[in-house]
Amino acid sequence: MNLFFRELKASRKSLILWCIGILLMVAGGMSKFGGISSSGQSMNELMGAMPKALQAIMGTGSLDISTAGGYYGVLFLYLMVMAAIHASMLGSTIVSKEELEKTAEFLLVKPISRNKVITWKLIAALVNVLLFNIVTFVSSAAAVEYYNDGKNLNGDIAILLAGMFILQLIFLFLGSAIASATRKPKSAASLSTAVLMGTFLLSIMIDMSTSIDFLKYLTPFKYFEAKQVMFGGGLEAVFLILSAAFILIFLFATYKFYKDKDMAV
Amino acid sequence: MSVIEISNLTKTYGKARGINNISFTVEEGEIFGFIGPNGAGKSTTIRTLLGLIYPTGGSAKIFGKDCIKYGSEIKKEIGYLPSEVFYYENMKVLDLLKYSASFYKKDCSKRMHELADILDLDLSKKIDDLSLGNRKKVGIIQGLLHEPKLIILDEPTSGLDPLMQQKFFDLLTEENKKGATILFSSHILSEVQKLCDRVAIIKEGEIVTLEKISTLKESTYKKFKIETAVSLDKEYFQIKGVNDLEEDRGTATFLFKGNVNSIMKKIAAIDIVNIWIDEPDLEEIFMHYYEKED
Repeated sequence: MNLFFRELKASRKSLILWCIGILLMVAGGMSKFGGISSSGQSMNELMGAMPKALQAIMGTGSLDISTAGGYYGVLFLYLMVMAAIHASMLGSTIVSKEELEKTAEFLLVKPISRNKVITWKLIAALVNVLLFNIVTFVSSAAAVEYYNDGKNLNGDIAILLAGMFILQLIFLFLGSAIASATRKPKSAASLSTAVLMGTFLLSIMIDMSTSIDFLKYLTPFKYFEAKQVMFGGGLEAVFLILSAAFILIFLFATYKFYKDKDMAV
Repeated sequence: MSVIEISNLTKTYGKARGINNISFTVEEGEIFGFIGPNGAGKSTTIRTLLGLIYPTGGSAKIFGKDCIKYGSEIKKEIGYLPSEVFYYENMKVLDLLKYSASFYKKDCSKRMHELADILDLDLSKKIDDLSLGNRKKVGIIQGLLHEPKLIILDEPTSGLDPLMQQKFFDLLTEENKKGATILFSSHILSEVQKLCDRVAIIKEGEIVTLEKISTLKESTYKKFKIETAVSLDKEYFQIKGVNDLEEDRGTATFLFKGNVNSIMKKIAAIDIVNIWIDEPDLEEIFMHYYEKED
């Protein structure tokens, strides 16, 4: 427990900054909608006239950005990226920091097993990720509600954010697994971010070209897209199963590699 | 009872450094010195004992239990002071020490304040603001506050001024009298000589010798310097046990190992002006083990 509270305290400041970032992103993003919506249908036509690649990069695709919900769907892509970056960096640093700050010689000579060390660290990271998610949900629901004139979208947003939480878990445990496996604690965070960026770019490339559509199973950014979750059939079973598999594999790898690791001190 | 039993412990990092086939035991109540220059494998051995890194061969037991398998259990009774002390940023000394104590299921606050008083450390300061020596004090308190049965110290005196070093040694002696076993690594021989009962000398990852401090000194040479009134025959002192004989206008110097009586009779038979007989200090013994065999 002491380790858990220590980690919460240590991550408090960065979590607050991230939450402020998310609030600004949601509020700022949705306020742009206020400007666009007054011009009505024309925005959709303008977007439709753009090349498909550009649409893919902006994440609009088939979303109707003249409605608050559709517009939020575009914004959600960027919220997902932020959440994923936060989660992967948190996951990798919470594990690698004992080596980076050379405190491994303090912590790991205490009467606590490495499994317990990892467990408490991951629980603390989970709390962080959950708070990040809640802040995103509350601010999103409030901002969409403010501009929305159709049916209430809170339920849709809740499902979307549930998807984002799963995405956060995938990247959190990806980060912790990489930090446990690597011999160079310094490179852990950058390596996880590189993987994250790789999968994100892949998801955009899939949007640009339908011929590589089958690669969507490889990038979690395709698992919980707004156009599917909000305006399609909700969360898809195949993606839920894939997510569960990734989470379990990364979790297992985190414990296994951390237990067998020679601490770099 | 042996507190530490190391048998054929090996740790290799690729081809580079590491330790090879190290075996020794540390008995209960002993102050055991572990000496060698930087990079000889002292820290590697200690870190393997503490389960920070895993051996590639051999094993080690602490309190009779395997140090990897029962790691978290035996660490309840181990206090460790690393050679370089690093702590979490932005923590006050008191918070760090309380955090350290919270891992042990006993009340350590009384001992913590006692130690802080002895070492003259201000607990309200932030760790970031401390000097190297004061950080070391935090490390010492952190390693001793739960009154461990085994104290492992890796180069503990670096950064401490001589006065503080003395206080620290007194503290260790006191802990030792209360029953604690101490493993003390160092490259400074005089401090090992002052404190330890036995030493293991490590060189390039291997144990070169393992001796009582007293035997180590006994089994080695004595230095003789003799001044005579008249110049001696150059071969006069050339008897069994004499080495490095030098004769220079009535002053003879040599190293002697063996029965002292034989050399004393030789000396008694001549007319001498002055005589010096020196015990070699550990430094010289150490150099003896460290000279590359050629």
